[in-house]
Amino acid sequence: MSASEPHAAEAEVDRSATAAGWWLTRLVLSPQFALVIVIIVFVAFGATHSDQFLKVGTWINILRNAVFIAIVASFTTFVFVSGGLDLSVGSVFAVGAMASAGLLYIGWPILPAILAGSGAGALCGLINGALINYYGIPPFITTLGMLYAARSLVVYFTGGQPIAPLPDAFSTIARADFLGLPLLLYYAAAVVIFAQILLQTTTFGDAVRAIGGNREAASNAGINVRAISTVVYTLSGLSAAFAGVLMSARLGSGQPSIGVGFELQVISAVIIGGTSLFGGIGSVLGALLGSLILSILTTGLILLRIDPVLQDFVIGVIIVAAVGIDQLRRRRMYRSVGTR
Amino acid sequence: MTAILELRHVSKAFGHVVALDDVSLQARAGSVLVIVGDNGAGKSTMIKVLAGVYPVDRGEMLIDGRPVNLTSPAKAREHGISVVFQNLALVECLDVAANMYLGRPIRYAGFFADRRAMVEGAADTLKALKVRIPSVRVPVGVLSGGQRQGVAIARAVQQDARIVLLDEPTAALGYRETQQVITIIRELRDAGKSVVLISHDLEVVFDVADEIQVMRLGRVQGVRRRENADKSEIVGLITGAIEPDREQVAREAESAR
Repeated sequence: MSASEPHAAEAEVDRSATAAGWWLTRLVLSPQFALVIVIIVFVAFGATHSDQFLKVGTWINILRNAVFIAIVASFTTFVFVSGGLDLSVGSVFAVGAMASAGLLYIGWPILPAILAGSGAGALCGLINGALINYYGIPPFITTLGMLYAARSLVVYFTGGQPIAPLPDAFSTIARADFLGLPLLLYYAAAVVIFAQILLQTTTFGDAVRAIGGNREAASNAGINVRAISTVVYTLSGLSAAFAGVLMSARLGSGQPSIGVGFELQVISAVIIGGTSLFGGIGSVLGALLGSLILSILTTGLILLRIDPVLQDFVIGVIIVAAVGIDQLRRRRMYRSVGTR
Repeated sequence: MTAILELRHVSKAFGHVVALDDVSLQARAGSVLVIVGDNGAGKSTMIKVLAGVYPVDRGEMLIDGRPVNLTSPAKAREHGISVVFQNLALVECLDVAANMYLGRPIRYAGFFADRRAMVEGAADTLKALKVRIPSVRVPVGVLSGGQRQGVAIARAVQQDARIVLLDEPTAALGYRETQQVITIIRELRDAGKSVVLISHDLEVVFDVADEIQVMRLGRVQGVRRRENADKSEIVGLITGAIEPDREQVAREAESAR
């Protein structure tokens, strides 16, 4: 690592980012770059085999399918960057979907039902965060418990039955178009942009990275580690439930089994996007690209008439490859690799 | 010169283990006080008392001659004391500038991080201390041990502390990196700070110290100005081969009677 040696006797401290690596080097080494290449290669290959690949409708469909994962993955990224883990987003997704559907069914107006459904998810996240940070229960255990408990309550309160019909006005929020694009895309864009700004430009985002990078150091420096981590889990729950509400609107009904296994898709999108499992490093835009990859693969493999059973094989390979690249990158970057 | 930081007859025990026994200390502005002693001498306990990590059982602590009660590290910071602990407390994946402002970021509009101001502020501080790093925008993870130590010390300085406590700042560093840290310590002294540091390395001790305070088994063996100190005497005090000052004083008082 010659770049890290002091190269001149003169004690000038460089303020520019240029010494942090030539921009092209950094671009090529970034995990997102590899993703974009993968997407381009796959689409180019697909386009030569199926006309469908070039149709606008196909792409709108791909984007629409990516919306739900992208919304949740944006905030699951925060959880990972803070050094945590959230396995409960699939169940909390169902909490949002069913709570809003149930409230609409008993006659609540649309906006309060959306807010209450999302709020129920935020409450699940708050419980996760409080148990993890104030009672010292590991994130894996806490959120695994929430995965089971939340799903169980959803099924209990609905008797395992779908809730339908829901008001048409409610479905409109997820089915209508604006300027030729589904409204869903605008919601996802708003959430992703908000999350990206929050993580990259605010002192809250810096604190989240500091906690994930070195929890003890962050705490010694006066960062309120517990409070910030609790907020992160709450945001994760809120985003999962909000996505669930949108799903109910799109389907026009509340399905109690919705979102089973969803957490694995979300985690896959986050990891494929280059966010580290070990905390401190991650990006919301990466999670967005990860969501797109999953959606493109799902649709693309169907268009290519490849057995859908093989989809999961491809996704599995990509996840392992993404993490492998992440490890290599860190080994190049840091002197002490360790688990980081 | 009066002391800006002082311990008077401080004792501290953990259960039955007496870590500090009637210990006094005086640290002056523009001066480096080095605490030496073998393992179990009470050096680290003393630093932690000064840093507000441990409360004392008996005795008092004074800053600028006024008694203070440091109940937490945050309180110590308010009184102008900053500490560089052995485990550095840097976040590897954040850049140098972010680490320098960890826990007290510069903001604008309430929540946004003012990166430009932090980059400039960090670079100015590092430059003033002659800490050489490739850029304030590189992650701390790419820096060498000496550079990290430099950043950790610079952060302590940047908090504008008048009193800087350093716990074994040169442990595990190579020769050149040690020299770099020594240079920084001198810079701090020349800037009028009071520096209290623990070190095992007698070379370093004689290099930077203005005063050397020897501890043994939780008690003060003696305090020497560096110009009057002799290496073998210091070693004798550390190991107990030489009679501590307090006993000598007691015996002289005895014989004078």
